[in-house]
Amino acid sequence: MSKTMSKSHNVSEAESCIHGAANRSSRRSERRRADVEDPFGRALEYFSQVKAGTPVKGNDALENNLVLVERVALGRGLPPGAVATLLDFALSLRLGKKLLCSRVLKFLIPASAVPQDSVVRGVSWFCMGKMPVSAQILFLRWILTMFDLIDSKDQHYIYINDFCSLLLIITQWIFSLSPYVCHLLYLLTTKEHGKQPPLTQLLALYKVLCPEMIAISMPSKTRGGFKNHNLPWKTALAAVLKKNKTAEAPSPPLSLDIKEKASTRKRKLHHLEVPQLSCGPEIESSRGKAVHLQQLRSFAQLLQNLDNIELPAQMGSLLSSSLALHYLDCVHDESALLRLNFWLGSVLHEEFLFCSRDGNPENSTEPSQFLDMLISTQDFLQECFSSSEFFLFKFLAMWDGSLHQPQILSLLSDIPPLPVSRMKMFLFEPLQQLYFTSSVFFKCGVIECLRSMLWKWLTWHFVQTSHKELDVSLSSSRTMNLHMSEFLELVTELVQYVGRLASAGLQLENYHILLHHQTLNFYELVCDVYLKFNLPLFLLPPSGVIFPSLLATDPVTVDRLGYVIFRYRQNLMSAKEHKQQKKEPSFHISRDVFREFNLLMVAVVSCLWISKDCQVDVGTDVHKALVPLRTMLSYCKNYNLIHHPAFLNYAIEFHQKCWPEQTNVDLSSIQGKKYWYWYLEFLFSQGFDGLKDFIQNNMDHQSTPVGGH
Amino acid sequence: MMEGRSAMESPVTRLPTRRRTKSYGRSCFEASSRFAYTSGQLTILRIPTTREAPRARNIAERVDPEQVTLLIKNEWKLSYVTPLYRFRHTHLKKYSKHLSAFIAAEKQQGTAVEVGLETGYRVTFSTVLGIAETDEDAETVFIQIQSKPMFAATGDALKVVWSGWLTCVNGSPEYLHSLLPDFVSLPLFCSSGPENITVVVKSWFEKMFDCRFGSLGLDSTSLQWLCALWTGCHPDNNIRYLRLLWTLPTQPPLDVSYTVNPQDAWELWNSVRQEDSVDGTVGIDEVKHFMAGLESHFFRHFKIYLSSGTLRKVSTALGSAQQDGKVKILCSDYLATVLTLLTECAILKMPI
Repeated sequence: MSKTMSKSHNVSEAESCIHGAANRSSRRSERRRADVEDPFGRALEYFSQVKAGTPVKGNDALENNLVLVERVALGRGLPPGAVATLLDFALSLRLGKKLLCSRVLKFLIPASAVPQDSVVRGVSWFCMGKMPVSAQILFLRWILTMFDLIDSKDQHYIYINDFCSLLLIITQWIFSLSPYVCHLLYLLTTKEHGKQPPLTQLLALYKVLCPEMIAISMPSKTRGGFKNHNLPWKTALAAVLKKNKTAEAPSPPLSLDIKEKASTRKRKLHHLEVPQLSCGPEIESSRGKAVHLQQLRSFAQLLQNLDNIELPAQMGSLLSSSLALHYLDCVHDESALLRLNFWLGSVLHEEFLFCSRDGNPENSTEPSQFLDMLISTQDFLQECFSSSEFFLFKFLAMWDGSLHQPQILSLLSDIPPLPVSRMKMFLFEPLQQLYFTSSVFFKCGVIECLRSMLWKWLTWHFVQTSHKELDVSLSSSRTMNLHMSEFLELVTELVQYVGRLASAGLQLENYHILLHHQTLNFYELVCDVYLKFNLPLFLLPPSGVIFPSLLATDPVTVDRLGYVIFRYRQNLMSAKEHKQQKKEPSFHISRDVFREFNLLMVAVVSCLWISKDCQVDVGTDVHKALVPLRTMLSYCKNYNLIHHPAFLNYAIEFHQKCWPEQTNVDLSSIQGKKYWYWYLEFLFSQGFDGLKDFIQNNMDHQSTPVGGH
Repeated sequence: MMEGRSAMESPVTRLPTRRRTKSYGRSCFEASSRFAYTSGQLTILRIPTTREAPRARNIAERVDPEQVTLLIKNEWKLSYVTPLYRFRHTHLKKYSKHLSAFIAAEKQQGTAVEVGLETGYRVTFSTVLGIAETDEDAETVFIQIQSKPMFAATGDALKVVWSGWLTCVNGSPEYLHSLLPDFVSLPLFCSSGPENITVVVKSWFEKMFDCRFGSLGLDSTSLQWLCALWTGCHPDNNIRYLRLLWTLPTQPPLDVSYTVNPQDAWELWNSVRQEDSVDGTVGIDEVKHFMAGLESHFFRHFKIYLSSGTLRKVSTALGSAQQDGKVKILCSDYLATVLTLLTECAILKMPI
């Protein structure tokens, strides 16, 4: 019987298809094909179209579809449309009363959201009063569980009102005999009944909403008034949500997501709580159209109301949500920013400077979370709060170098360019003391911090100068109101400072490979300052960095050094061309820079190159500080690419490939003209791109025993 | 200590171009001199090395005596407050209502104030005129909280349960000048009463005026200053005793209470006073000499170096002060001297 039923259904569909226009029929058949591929869609269609009075018992199509939908629902959750269809199907009681309704409700697990309309429809079915009591209860419990998922996208407020009015309808329906019911309740309720938790909870809410109506005093702890019922959907819903969450790409929604309080545990001192967004005191009469930040839900709303937004009562609360941070970026009110700085400075001072630590290491998660929040905020604004700058300067003088190390170093790198004297006194001096007395990992951290700081300064500078070219009217000297000469002086000072730290640090730490790389990282930034940031500054690494890198036992270090020297050369060449073309008098590069670089180049080339006879003409007017270089050169002969300890391994491998039968490895046989180039190609094929750039670019200019390349 | 170091080492002259506090938008159009003072206490504030010698002044000539008695009666717990945003001395009545409503609300939440018989609190804000010494000082604000018992007859007097005041006396003019006009700086907050009410009052201030409170302790230098200044008052106003309390870092800690005959203390003080300081100022060197004299006397008798411990408390008949920031002022004649010192300590705590 059931088979004929479903068949007849299909037949009628097919008939309509025949009667329809040709293109329509083709579309229909397309859809049909899709249906065949998508049984779930077909099942939903069945539920939306099934007519009232269709028999339930022995209906295989119904049973099959139910099982299918149930499996999908419990597996990955139902899409919003499906939730709407099924809810409508269940509550309309089209196919019988009790069993089907509760069965559908029980597996109604949404994948992401429940459409608001469907809930509204459901409530109207509910109010018709045809549902059995058990189904009514089940439906209400379902709403309670799904409450947070009810879709409220753009019409949040309308929805609230709609929904409230609907709930009012429910209440009215329940209390349509309200005068009598209430009277009865009034008569029956005794003191003990009045203390029932749900009633107290409701009364407490009313007391908050309209305190003038309820004068009784409430017990302070009414929590747990509503039992967190162990609702049947909870676990399934959680599983589905978790599954979907891991499946989809993590895209943090832009919303007013008030950050959760770090812990519910009551701290003795509430230094680190970011205040909640709230509007200003009513004492000050506010403008008529003012919008409160906490009312906004989306970035679009923020943009629409940007001019009417009222600042919150506590500026610190702006740090509590991402949307508020967007707004903070537009705030130009001096007082407001000062308030924020007072708040932030006071929090930092109280927590890290004044507060005597009780030596409890468990306490440190909350402070580090706060610092993380500050770091991400400053990253977002691309600026350092001046209160955090002052805090850091004070904190550095008493820092042991380990407390919240990653966070503090990260914050330090946000410090803007300041006059050299201040920078030396407040940053360089204390940091240097910590640097020399700490582990190699702290040293790496410091170098990385200073690199990141330099990178931020250079980026600011670059944006500033390019802004000036775009629009002269912009009074753009705000992130850096140092003059150009002061800025150059500061950058020079920083680079030299890092040079000193690195040379001494390398020696202290026995040329630790990590420190090597961190240092070269720094110089990879410094060597490209002219080409990348348009800053005519050429600062070479000190010998204490170059030669340890050149003679390192690790090939990657040598390779990176090659890259750094190559980039220095590109920068200098380009600056020279620029100078010759424009003939600007202000653009001046000291001859010493070129001389120093040439000397460095000669040293490195003659070291790595085969250099039978390393006769280098270093000139007679060599800078006195560079004299040690010349003595270095005499030792360099044994460090060419074949005998260099970092590449020895490769040389032997190459030798074995060339002369596999020879057991006696004679590396000097590679020095032959042909083999030498093959050997170089072999090295380049191993990924030493820095070395490749360096060698290929210098070949044309250096006299080599092997002639042109 | 921190502040002292950085303040003394910092350059006095600053660059003509000053940094702004915030400059997120690089395309904003305002003039570039925004925060003239953002270098804050790194450059502005210095710990003074000389102070005016205290002069007895009958404060009753300038301040309402009733209000003076309110100030000198209690032991006050000190806090510092960052400048109050949009605080108006003309709105005190509104603040009174607002704060009492706030306390009532907090009480209902059952978090802050224990539920007792009281059903309501009456809050009174008032200005204490005449405490301020300079034009820059904002007038002192006094707050009193009285409870209204539930079954009180109309004639019953209200019970004062809490009082506190905000003040600024001889505040650093550089600092006060550097504030924007929207802010009122009353950096010193003194409170007396149950801690839970203090918490509520502080959180009300923080919400209303976007400020923040922090506890204010007195370091040993401040206590030594008070000790010397009070001793110097002896000829005009008998200090009766000079009592000092040290804690020595032994295991277990050793408390040393050291009471000095007032006349002996004064003679010691007089002997360390330098001759060129007749112009009514006291130098830090004199204070240090005075303390060294007291300590060496103690060493001669007990062979204990008090300088290895920490000074925790100083008390005389004129007043007492503790390291943890509890202060009692017993003689109104020297109110200005003490409050100047405390205001200075509070301003030194300011984050920017």
